[in-house]
Amino acid sequence: MSTQPMDSGMETAEFAVGAEALTALDDGKPPATAGTRKWLRFRFLIRFQSLLGLVLVLFGGIIFSPRRNGEILFLSADNLANIVRSVSETGIIAVGMTFVIIAGGIDLSVGAVLGLSGVLVARLMIDWNYGTALAIIIVLIAGLLFGVLQGLVSNYMRIQAFIVTLAGLQLARGLARFISGDKFINISFGSGPKQAPSSFSVLGDRFGGVLPVSALVFLGVGIIGSVVLNTTRFGRHVFAVGGNERAARLSGINVRYVKIVTFAICGIAAALSGILDAGQLAFANPDSGTGYELTAIAAVVIGGTSLFGGEGTVVGTLAGALLLGSLNNILQLNNINSNLQLIVTATIIVLAAALQHLASRRRGT
Amino acid sequence: MEPNGAAPPLLEMQGISKAFGGVRALSGVDLTIRPGEVHALIGENGAGKSTLMNIMSGVIADYEGKMRLAGTEIRFSSPQGALKVGVATVFQELDLVPGLSVAHNLFLGQEPLRSGIFVDNSTMYQRAETVLQRIGGGISPRGIVGNLRLGQQQAVAIAKALAVGEPRILILDEPTAALSTHEVERLFEIIRLLRSRGVAIVFISHRLEEISQIGDRVTVLRDGQTVATVPASTRQDHLVSLLIGESLRALFPPAGTATSEDRLTLENFSYRPGRPSPDWQEPHDINLTVRAGEIVGLVGLLGAGRTELLQVLYGTAPPGLQSGSVKVDGRALRIGSPLAALRRGIGFVPDDRRGSGLVTTRSVAENLILADLKRLSTLGVVRAGRVREALRWGLPRLKIKAAGADAPILSLSGGNQQKVLIGRILLRQPDLLLLDEPTRGVDIGAKAEIYHLVRSLAAGGLAVLVASSELPELAGWCDRLVVLRQGRLIADLPPDTDPARVLALAGGTYTTQEP
Repeated sequence: MSTQPMDSGMETAEFAVGAEALTALDDGKPPATAGTRKWLRFRFLIRFQSLLGLVLVLFGGIIFSPRRNGEILFLSADNLANIVRSVSETGIIAVGMTFVIIAGGIDLSVGAVLGLSGVLVARLMIDWNYGTALAIIIVLIAGLLFGVLQGLVSNYMRIQAFIVTLAGLQLARGLARFISGDKFINISFGSGPKQAPSSFSVLGDRFGGVLPVSALVFLGVGIIGSVVLNTTRFGRHVFAVGGNERAARLSGINVRYVKIVTFAICGIAAALSGILDAGQLAFANPDSGTGYELTAIAAVVIGGTSLFGGEGTVVGTLAGALLLGSLNNILQLNNINSNLQLIVTATIIVLAAALQHLASRRRGT
Repeated sequence: MEPNGAAPPLLEMQGISKAFGGVRALSGVDLTIRPGEVHALIGENGAGKSTLMNIMSGVIADYEGKMRLAGTEIRFSSPQGALKVGVATVFQELDLVPGLSVAHNLFLGQEPLRSGIFVDNSTMYQRAETVLQRIGGGISPRGIVGNLRLGQQQAVAIAKALAVGEPRILILDEPTAALSTHEVERLFEIIRLLRSRGVAIVFISHRLEEISQIGDRVTVLRDGQTVATVPASTRQDHLVSLLIGESLRALFPPAGTATSEDRLTLENFSYRPGRPSPDWQEPHDINLTVRAGEIVGLVGLLGAGRTELLQVLYGTAPPGLQSGSVKVDGRALRIGSPLAALRRGIGFVPDDRRGSGLVTTRSVAENLILADLKRLSTLGVVRAGRVREALRWGLPRLKIKAAGADAPILSLSGGNQQKVLIGRILLRQPDLLLLDEPTRGVDIGAKAEIYHLVRSLAAGGLAVLVASSELPELAGWCDRLVVLRQGRLIADLPPDTDPARVLALAGGTYTTQEP
């Protein structure tokens, strides 16, 4: 039995004017089918909006870069390495945040967890004589547990992630200040008492004399995040939970488990950033990471991930983070007022969001 | 009974046609509404009811054909424009703000003001009181809309249409779709009250039993055309044949042969949620057997407990207590979660395609394989080769028409979306398939494909329990019809039972013995 074209069309039409599809009529377009191919091309653009943006910004960097002896400063190895390092901490957090946001949540606690982790790793090594590896592992587990706790509270007490992680932010910041005695903890390296093992100083080093270790870690996290999101069953579950929670549950997916794991991933990412932060600066500041949650969310949104959940990419997030970093770098190289940098960032966030809105209107959601 | 039989028409629609992107939804529809009549508009899904209603109410301004209101030619550009000349519409999705009071909702956007700035609450409540009295039912203007029952919210939505001034025509879009039997009665009282004051009511429904209760005349639409306008007292079986035409009968696959192997057995089965709700009809004392190879249809009015029974079996009902026994393949079934049900070989396709089925942000392929990812992956990594294999198996067998497996799921027609959802469960190769309104919002061609697909799977030993509000569909498709009423199974009938008798058993309000 085959469908006659007339019949299948009838259905499309009826569906379009059903109560739920009234918005589709508002922009005067018939529902998809006919425009599918065009849409796919368009979606390709949206999907890689942040990569295209990054390319544009890089070109801009080359054009507007100050030059010394004919050398383009922006493109110098040192400068490029600096850009990646400067975004590595918020970038790692943004990768974790991508998982949470695709699953339909949000995590505001990450900046504070970064501060807490830096303080914790410093005290573990300096005051409690833990070795580098063990201290790092303990802090990563602490970050994971912090995420799990937030996930549990949010899912079992049915409180919105926004609220739970807002409380988590206060909790983590409070703990950081308490553990540090509300002071900077200076980290000196060596084998004596009150010193951190010198192996910890590797985090502030440059690999091969050029590439900062933190940048390397950032790229590694990005690759792992992208692989997990795109190739694993868990990754598909994250998309399904964020895209339609009820459908996910009816398909036999443990929705709570998936959501809690995304918070755990985000917690680990924030803890890792905190460790890097302490290692690079050679001190731990309990107030470190303030406002990083917003920078991370900005990178995720610029990267094309929908705050409504259900769609997004880690590659986009990486590009989004690098785009913000490059932009700030160009403005800095040209000695442009740092307040202006904020204004430019604001413009880019709005542009990215507007592009996405266009995409979802096309799709009719 | 046909009041005002000779009255001049209030609204005349002539030769109305409308196409969406080259696809005709309506072709040359005529419709005449007389003052003070309840005019029912019926048709299968996809027949064009909604399109016609949207033209009448001003939602669609761009159409061919003529519309005359009390003799003057008219063309609405918006629902507000229609409202100004007395054509009010209550859409199925009620446009009420749940957090505001009834009065605030009635006068939303046109609140009476004091000094031109402040909302004059006392005047507003007074006027709201007057409007609410006109429909009766004792709704307080100070009540919060979100706290009202659905039937009362419906009444508020109607009152909102009256708040601007008495309309000449009131269009009600499937007003009974979500109401309990008692609430439907209450709604009909309001409709009769308005009719007695000369308001013409256009009543869109696909429940025949309601039409004989409340309607004066019925217009039947099929495939975008007017089939007939007949008195509402027309016999139901005649209406049914007008609705589906002869063509649909040919769409059903030949009946199958059930085996003697019991797949699902319910004995004196009852289920009571921990927090009972009037909107959730508990299954009571149900005895039912579904055999391998058999398709069993669940007949019942809305609120009879069809969906609830399926939900309980699939483990999505609100947590509660069961009594009696439920067995799958002879082993007791523990009512738990969808995952537990899937593991026992039970599959379920929900009625709310958009809300509970589609992951709207993802592709056709992702939607199709969603429930079967475990089999398609090794150590948590999804294997692209196995996914391709699954798609090669599924897409042609399900006859899914899509630009490609990577096309966005929403670019598909409703029928193809539904096939994807059925395919999602079929990939898990269930032994028992539960379908809730599997052809809602699906075109006739895709309906036939779904009938044939499920029948061929049944021939392979699948047991199917299907709930539908379309009796002709169940009668043509199923091996047995079981009738639910207020949560109880009251009859187990062969599919060729006289539809009037089946409806009588299901409804209780319709009786064949009436003088």
